[in-house]
Amino acid sequence: MIKLIKKSHKMKRSTSEIVFDNCNNIFMVVLALVMMYPFWYILILAFNNGADAANGPIWFWPRKFTLDNFTYVLNYPGLKSATFVTVARCIVAPIFSVTVCMMGAYALSKRFLPNRKAIIFFLMGPMFVGGTVVSNYLVIAKLHLLNNFLVFVLPGAFAYFTAVIMRSFIDGIPMEIEESAMLDGASYFTIFWRIIVPLSKPCIAAFLFFAVVGSWLDNQANLLYITKKSLYTLQYLLYLVLTSNESRSIIDMHSQQIAKRVSEMGNSANQPPTPTVIRMAIMVVVTFPILFIYPFFQKYFIKGMLTGSVKA
Amino acid sequence: MERNIETAVLKKNRIKKNIKKDIKMRNIGTLYLFLLPAILITLIFGYLPMISNVIAFMDYDMAKGWMGLASPFVGLKNFSFLHESWFYHLSLRTINYSVVGLIFGFPASLILALLFNELRGKTYKKVVQTISYIPNFVSWVTIAGLTYMFLTVEPEGLINTIKVAFFGGERISFMQDPKYFLAIIVITGIWKGIGWGTILYMAALSTLDEQIYEAAEVDGANRWAKTRYITLPGLVPTFCILLIFALGGLFSSNFDQIFNLQNSVIRDDVSTINLYTYFNGIVNQQYSLTTAVGLFQGIVSFILIYITNTITRKLSDTGIF
Repeated sequence: MIKLIKKSHKMKRSTSEIVFDNCNNIFMVVLALVMMYPFWYILILAFNNGADAANGPIWFWPRKFTLDNFTYVLNYPGLKSATFVTVARCIVAPIFSVTVCMMGAYALSKRFLPNRKAIIFFLMGPMFVGGTVVSNYLVIAKLHLLNNFLVFVLPGAFAYFTAVIMRSFIDGIPMEIEESAMLDGASYFTIFWRIIVPLSKPCIAAFLFFAVVGSWLDNQANLLYITKKSLYTLQYLLYLVLTSNESRSIIDMHSQQIAKRVSEMGNSANQPPTPTVIRMAIMVVVTFPILFIYPFFQKYFIKGMLTGSVKA
Repeated sequence: MERNIETAVLKKNRIKKNIKKDIKMRNIGTLYLFLLPAILITLIFGYLPMISNVIAFMDYDMAKGWMGLASPFVGLKNFSFLHESWFYHLSLRTINYSVVGLIFGFPASLILALLFNELRGKTYKKVVQTISYIPNFVSWVTIAGLTYMFLTVEPEGLINTIKVAFFGGERISFMQDPKYFLAIIVITGIWKGIGWGTILYMAALSTLDEQIYEAAEVDGANRWAKTRYITLPGLVPTFCILLIFALGGLFSSNFDQIFNLQNSVIRDDVSTINLYTYFNGIVNQQYSLTTAVGLFQGIVSFILIYITNTITRKLSDTGIF
């Protein structure tokens, strides 16, 4: 009997709401496809035979599968040095930058620090009246940082916004912990390393991630300040490949090495790849590493950004 | 005798209080040490370039003096570009790109955030959001490469194939024709930025109180009414702050994006102020002139930020200062 009386407690959705929901879902699917398809396209083209790719458009699957393009790309000596430079840069610069910002944020979070307001004004200044491209270039030139690895690390190390968000995060750590540590005789350094840093892990993880991604994607430093081949990063290599005949030289260089093997095999399917597919293969090498590590860090930086920006 | 003991006790208490206050101030030098890297870096890479902007007022010669700062002072001569028509066209084009990009791109993230908010099913929502963030982690070099691939006039170009199949006619050389450039930068800009832009809005949405929504539902509000009266007003502060920064950048442009998408064929017709500064300033070494242009740009940006900030303060009491 009770079963008969029990009615559904859910609020009924009106027709317009049902329509809206379905349209929204369809839109989301389309959005996901639009976002993902270009990456899929790079992938399938990179695995496709070059001469075949030039015949007509490829949509969903490689027409003529081949691993040749990657052989050529991975044997390119410039790639090895560029990878080394990029990885080094993506380790050194984020660690340095996050350390500088975190230390500054901790010091700024101490309201009793004398001259605190003056220091804040000082640090905020360049945000409003900054240097131009030319004046930045001149400063870096005069500091002998042109063609120097440090030009990747030093200039952008301190960002006031980052420090502010970190400071609001640190403000959330109760003062009592620090005070009791101080009564036990801890110095500020000890408090910073043993207490603040472990408690700020989400915040630090988020900003480390941003810094790594920023370093990986950056092209400006190379464009403006570097001419030495040994300091080319992966992004810059990709830029050269896409806009000049660098892809041609990749092909020629490797072709000479395997020319003997090709003539011995006499197989027409082993003809050298076109610049187009070489470019795709390099794009895969340069772009996909970030895409792989990104999902693992997503929960950290979402959380870090949410807490940090809401507080700020 | 008693008074002596009293003053002695009071003195002892005062010393104790001083010692306690002292603990925080002891080793306060350490905190300044913490700030030292930040201050040094700001000084060298923030203020030094700022001071070097003074070469905008000079006839710059690298050889004269330290960093060429002893070059002859020529006052506002380098600012004569403000009278010239090429600068007028350059500025108009820059503002055009920024405004159109703003009109389409700025609300796009907001609308997408609202749509995300309406999705049912947590995992499904998370998956879509994750996918929408991905294009943000790709450099403009890659995106430009992709754009050229899709829009190429060669047989492998997908867009042209679709166009010919559905609409007939010739294959269009999209990237060699300046008139398509604006659409291309707006579309690629949205593709890259729309997902990432929703993060701040989603953060703001997560702070809205569930109970207000429930109260509204009891009062008979449907989803549209809830969005209009609860969600949107809750997003106004975030919207305003982002708007301030967006309008402040009206006179500049995204160097990375336009630099990678342009090529030598259309360069003269699609360059913005930033690109002009790069090509003439660094590549052609016209230091004084381009610094003057850059300085002018910086001042205009600051004025725009200030005006927008004042307006948003008056209208909704939010602002960055």
